[in-house]
Amino acid sequence: MLIKKILAKSTSAAGIVVIISIIAALYSTYDKGLYLAINTVVMGGMLALMALGLALVFGVMNVAMFAHGEFFMIGSLSAFYIFPPIHEYLVENPNAFLSMIAPLIAIFGALLIGMIVGVIVEKLVFSPLRKRSTDNWVMNSFLLTVGLSVILVNGHQLLFGTEAKTIVRYWSGRPLNIYDVYIARDRIITLFLSMAAVVLFWLFIKYTRTGRSIRAVSQDEKGALIVGINLTGIQMLTMSLSCGLAAFAGACLLFLYPSYPTVGIEPLYLAWFVVILAGLGNIMGAVVCAFIVSLLKVVTEAYVGSGWEYIVPSALIMLMLVFKPSGIFGSDVRGVHEQ
Amino acid sequence: MNNKIKSMENNITKEKSFFLGFLKNGLHITPAGLLGLIILLVLPNFPPFNQEYMIRWLVMGTFIAAGAIAFDFTGGYIGIVNFGFHAFVGLGGYTSGILAHKIGLSPWLGLFAGGIFAGSVGFVLGVLTLRLRGIYAAVVAWFVGLALMGLATKLVWLTRGPLGLRVDRLFDSPSNKPYYYLIFLIMMIVYLITRKVVNSKIGLAFKAIGQNMEAAKTSGINPFFYRVSNFTISCTIAGFLGGFYAHYYGILTPELLHTTKTVEVLAVAYLAGRASLWGGIAVGIPFVFFTELMRSSLTELPGLNLVFYGLMLVWVMIYYPGGFAMFYDNMTAKIKNVNLRRFFRG
Repeated sequence: MLIKKILAKSTSAAGIVVIISIIAALYSTYDKGLYLAINTVVMGGMLALMALGLALVFGVMNVAMFAHGEFFMIGSLSAFYIFPPIHEYLVENPNAFLSMIAPLIAIFGALLIGMIVGVIVEKLVFSPLRKRSTDNWVMNSFLLTVGLSVILVNGHQLLFGTEAKTIVRYWSGRPLNIYDVYIARDRIITLFLSMAAVVLFWLFIKYTRTGRSIRAVSQDEKGALIVGINLTGIQMLTMSLSCGLAAFAGACLLFLYPSYPTVGIEPLYLAWFVVILAGLGNIMGAVVCAFIVSLLKVVTEAYVGSGWEYIVPSALIMLMLVFKPSGIFGSDVRGVHEQ
Repeated sequence: MNNKIKSMENNITKEKSFFLGFLKNGLHITPAGLLGLIILLVLPNFPPFNQEYMIRWLVMGTFIAAGAIAFDFTGGYIGIVNFGFHAFVGLGGYTSGILAHKIGLSPWLGLFAGGIFAGSVGFVLGVLTLRLRGIYAAVVAWFVGLALMGLATKLVWLTRGPLGLRVDRLFDSPSNKPYYYLIFLIMMIVYLITRKVVNSKIGLAFKAIGQNMEAAKTSGINPFFYRVSNFTISCTIAGFLGGFYAHYYGILTPELLHTTKTVEVLAVAYLAGRASLWGGIAVGIPFVFFTELMRSSLTELPGLNLVFYGLMLVWVMIYYPGGFAMFYDNMTAKIKNVNLRRFFRG
């Protein structure tokens, strides 16, 4: 029974892609070493958080977010301003427990700031537009996010300067040794953090009452209104959650991506790859595709050379759009098929 | 005697109306627009605008204005945001530059080669993506732009990568003035072509698709065909402009294909007002001039001009979606005096 089910699933487009990427991952890890798999998973976890937010906002609010990378930037910026003071305090008064949780304070502080920014953005930008008119909403809101992105990038430059703001590491201590491959603790811990966030988020969406309301709104806005769901509240929560997740990812990856005005471009376009590949608005497909895209990027960098990661995935996306325009997992979000 | 005077009067009014009619139906500009264009034409001869750096800004502004017209042609009429617009500009620029560099093609022919090549790439992209929803086309055009930028960076043997490809300039003189007049002419031609297309039967189909796709389909319009042809025209213009860019600056870097450049054109096009075409000229040139002035005079506050840019864009998008063109229409519609109104509205 189970085997039959798996067989049926594995012959669909999604199944084939997933199987091919697992084989590719295993082969390239065998060929180039374990670090490739670790990089893929760390990148993929963060990308999953970014793409989740993107898919969520598109599914619920029909906003094609272009400023998502800037929320990533806000997260890394806030972590940069929260973490070093605690670190300095720790240098003067060593405290094992505090040094364990100091990075967590920074990361969760960034999450909180991201969520607040999300609420502000919803209040100042999308809610006024929704009140004025919802004609041609997808394009108009997309253009709004473009303007928002310009403001945030240049606001960062204006207020904090263009230099790269970074930290050496979150957690001190020797790197872990796994089969003669040294892996920094930061990578391992942030991987677990991102996984925990994805799982928690999934549980939230699947099993809580609020999560159900979010799914209801993403399926049918009018229907959700009729059954008495507080639409404004759900929209604000969605925006805030999505920005929070992006900021969380930014804070976690501060040691990889130093905070500077245009740092968000790369996570943004990777996250967009993910959601287009998965099918616009498909939230759970985005998590799987995040790892596929991350694998694609890491493998391209390892075999073809750095700089090509812009080119190879784009070509693949174009190919996929020819054969399967709705994404490999497909999408049943109402907004996708209109126009 | 009386009759003679009357017939003379008739002749005069006829001539006047012939001139006005030509302005309206031949060139599609209002008398006020004509005045503005004449001012723009003579501007580089008068101080303080006759300094080279000021003319440079004017060239840049005119270049962006021409781009904004082509952008508005897709964005405003069929509702597709070409988010890789500057990738097509860059594609045209590189085509023309490489042809001139490798086989010594004249830059003047290179402009057309760039336009044709960018147009064909745009055609292929349009065929692939324009079956889908508008947002897909926007995002995929963006991916293609990123990929092209990556190629321009990585194919060092062809493009010399970030070092920059040196290209012959169009004119021998170091002055910017001939370039200004050339790009001005190009801008006017772009305006006329797009306006003629928009006013024709094809343009009617564009408008129908942009306003309500389902209704357009029901009345027998094939949206795919019109969308692709519109996209191709816009990309061809972009490639042509790219050729000008290459042979004006004399150096091409992958930065030309960057998304921020597209955002610049997009901002001007939407500030100007969607589906207006002329707004790009009226807003683009002063706006670029002003932001450049702001940038060069406020060097200790980098990015302020762009924050202003973004705020303007967000504000206009939310509260005044018609942009400058709608503002102008509303203002001039209130004018009581017939002649004055005719002056402003044609």
